[in-house]
Amino acid sequence: MNGKEAVCLERVSRTYKRDDFEVHALDNVTLTIPERSFVAIMGPSGSGKTTILNLITGIDHPTSGRVSVGNEEINGMNENQLADWRARHIGLVFQFYNLIPVLTAFENVELPLLLTGLGKAERKTHVEAALEAVGLAERMQHYPRQLSGGQEQRVAIARAIVTDPTIVVADEPTGDLDAKSAEEILSLLAELNRRFKKTIVMVTHDSRAERFADTILRLDKGVFVGAESSLVSGGAR
Amino acid sequence: MKFTTLVLKNLLRSKRRTILTVLSIAISLFIFSALVSLPTVANHVLADTASSVRIACRTKMGQAYPLPEAYKAKIARTPHVVAVTPDNFFGGVYHEVSDQFPNIAVDPEQIDVMWPDWGFSPGGVEEFKKLRTACLAAEGTMKRFHLSVGQQIQLRGATYYPVNVTLKIVGTIAKGPAPSFLVFRRDYLEEIEGRPGRVDNFWVRADSSQAVPGIIQSVNAKFANSSAETQCDSEAVFIGSVIGRFRMFFTLARILGLIVVVTIGLVAANAAAMSIRERRNEIAVMRSIGFRSPLILRLLIAESVVTALAGCVLGCGAAFALLKVFSVTSDVLGPFVGAIQIPPPVVLETLLAAILIGLWSSYVPARSAVRRKIVDALRMVD
Repeated sequence: MNGKEAVCLERVSRTYKRDDFEVHALDNVTLTIPERSFVAIMGPSGSGKTTILNLITGIDHPTSGRVSVGNEEINGMNENQLADWRARHIGLVFQFYNLIPVLTAFENVELPLLLTGLGKAERKTHVEAALEAVGLAERMQHYPRQLSGGQEQRVAIARAIVTDPTIVVADEPTGDLDAKSAEEILSLLAELNRRFKKTIVMVTHDSRAERFADTILRLDKGVFVGAESSLVSGGAR
Repeated sequence: MKFTTLVLKNLLRSKRRTILTVLSIAISLFIFSALVSLPTVANHVLADTASSVRIACRTKMGQAYPLPEAYKAKIARTPHVVAVTPDNFFGGVYHEVSDQFPNIAVDPEQIDVMWPDWGFSPGGVEEFKKLRTACLAAEGTMKRFHLSVGQQIQLRGATYYPVNVTLKIVGTIAKGPAPSFLVFRRDYLEEIEGRPGRVDNFWVRADSSQAVPGIIQSVNAKFANSSAETQCDSEAVFIGSVIGRFRMFFTLARILGLIVVVTIGLVAANAAAMSIRERRNEIAVMRSIGFRSPLILRLLIAESVVTALAGCVLGCGAAFALLKVFSVTSDVLGPFVGAIQIPPPVVLETLLAAILIGLWSSYVPARSAVRRKIVDALRMVD
C-alpha cells in the first residue's frame, strides 16, 4: 500500500424509510480504502453492501457521516456536479451488465467518452485499448444480444475503465454468470488491479472473490464484522 | 453531433412503434397543412384575377335578385367608364350532373375591352361577336371534355334557367377567373328566355384605377331609392365578399386542423412515455456513468422532435403532392381546388406544430425519468 486514500467513509450511516419503518442499511461505518487496492465487500443479502457502493459512487447520499473519494468530499455536491465527478472518477460495473442494447460493444464503451472533450479518433483509440484489455477486440461491432453473459460483462468492464477512472466499482459482477465466466471476470478484475494499478471495490456473494481480492471486508446488518486486512479502522463496529 | 448516433439508434429501437408514430404524426400534419392552406384560395383568386380598374355592380338586395338591363346605358354614361358588360350566371350542366363548371352569359360587344387579361385565342372574340350561339371556353374546359374549336355543345339549364342552350365553340380562354368555365352570348339567352331583360351583375371598366371610387359612388347614387338599388364594388372587394362567405369554413378548417394536431400529440405522448418508461433503467445507468440529467432530457426530447419532424416532412410532402394532383385534376374537383397551395407560412406553421408535438409529447415523461433517483430506477428493474 502506498498510503494514499482512494475512498474514505467517516462514521457513515444510511437509513431508509419504508412506510412507517426505518431501515438502518449502514450504521456508523468508517472505512478507508487505499489506492490501487482490490477490495471485496462480502456479506448476506440486506447487509448494506450495495448501499456502500451507492454512497461511494454518489448515486445515494448518507444520512450522516462523510464520504470522500480521491480526496474529494462528495457529500456537498449537487446532482450535476456528481454526474461530472462520476464521469471523471468512477467506473461502474453492474450485476446485469446494463449495456445499451441498441449500441454495439464499441459504442457502449464509447458512451462515457462522449462526455469528454476527446475527438472521434482519440475516442476510437481509447475504446479499442479498453476492449483489447478485456480481450474483446474482435467483438467490437457486436451488439449485446450477440454476446455471451461473460462477454457482456467484459464490455461493461471496458466501459468502466475506458475513461481511466480513479476507482472501479463493481456490484455483484459475477452474480449473473456461470462458474467459468465468473472466474474469468474475477481474474480480469484482478488483472486490471495488478497491471493497470486500478483501485477496485467489489460487492459480491461469490466466495471465489476471496482468491482474487487482496482485502475482504465482511458486512452484516450495516456494520463491518470482519476484515482480512487492516483497512477497517477502529471506528467500524 | 457526437450524440446523433445515440439518438438515431434509440429511435430505431422499436422500428414498428417509431414508424407508426411517424405515420400518425404525418397524417395529422397532412390534414393540418391541407386544412390550413384552404384560405390561400382567397389570396390566389384575389391576386390572380382581380383588376384594379374593374367594378362589379349587383343589386343591394343580394345575389338572388336581378338588375334591370336598362341600367347598362345609364352606367355607360357615367364619366370615366370605358365599358359595361352585363352577365347572367346560367349554371348549365354539360352531359352529366357531375359535369358542372361555371358558365356565364355576357354581352359580346365589349368582352375584349372588359377582360383583356383573359388571353382569348386569335380570332375567337371576332367570331364571338358575329355568331349569336357562339361561346368561348376556358382551356381547362376544353381539355377536360376533349372539346375542340368549331364543335357544337349543349348545356342543360338547371336551377336558375330551365332552358337548354346549344353553343358553338369559337375560341378559347387561356387565363380566366377559373381553370374551367365558359362564356356565351347573353342576347341568345335573353331570346330563349323571352327577353325578360334581367341581369345578375354589371361589370364596369374604368379608364384608371383612380376613377374607380368616383364611379362606384356615382353609379350607386344614380340608382339610389330606385326599385333596384345597386351595390358597386371594386373587383377585389367583390371577389373578397364572395370568398368571405367561406371565412367561417376556413376558421373551422383551422380549428379542426389544430384539434387533429393536439389529438395526435397526445398519441405521440403516449408512445414517447412508453418508450421512456421501458428505458428507465438505461437512463439510470447513463446517469450513473456521468451523464447529466439535463443532457439526457435533451437527448430524449431530441428523439421525439426528430420523430415529429420526420412526420412533418412526410405529412407536408403528402399534402404538397396531393394538392399538386388536385391542381392537375381540378376541373373534376371544382374550379378553386387547383388554386389551393401550401404557402411558405403554412409550411412554417406545420414545422412549428411538429416541433411542439415533439416537445410536449416527450417533456413530461422524460423529465420524470431523469428526476427519478438513480438508486430507485436501478432497483426498479433489477
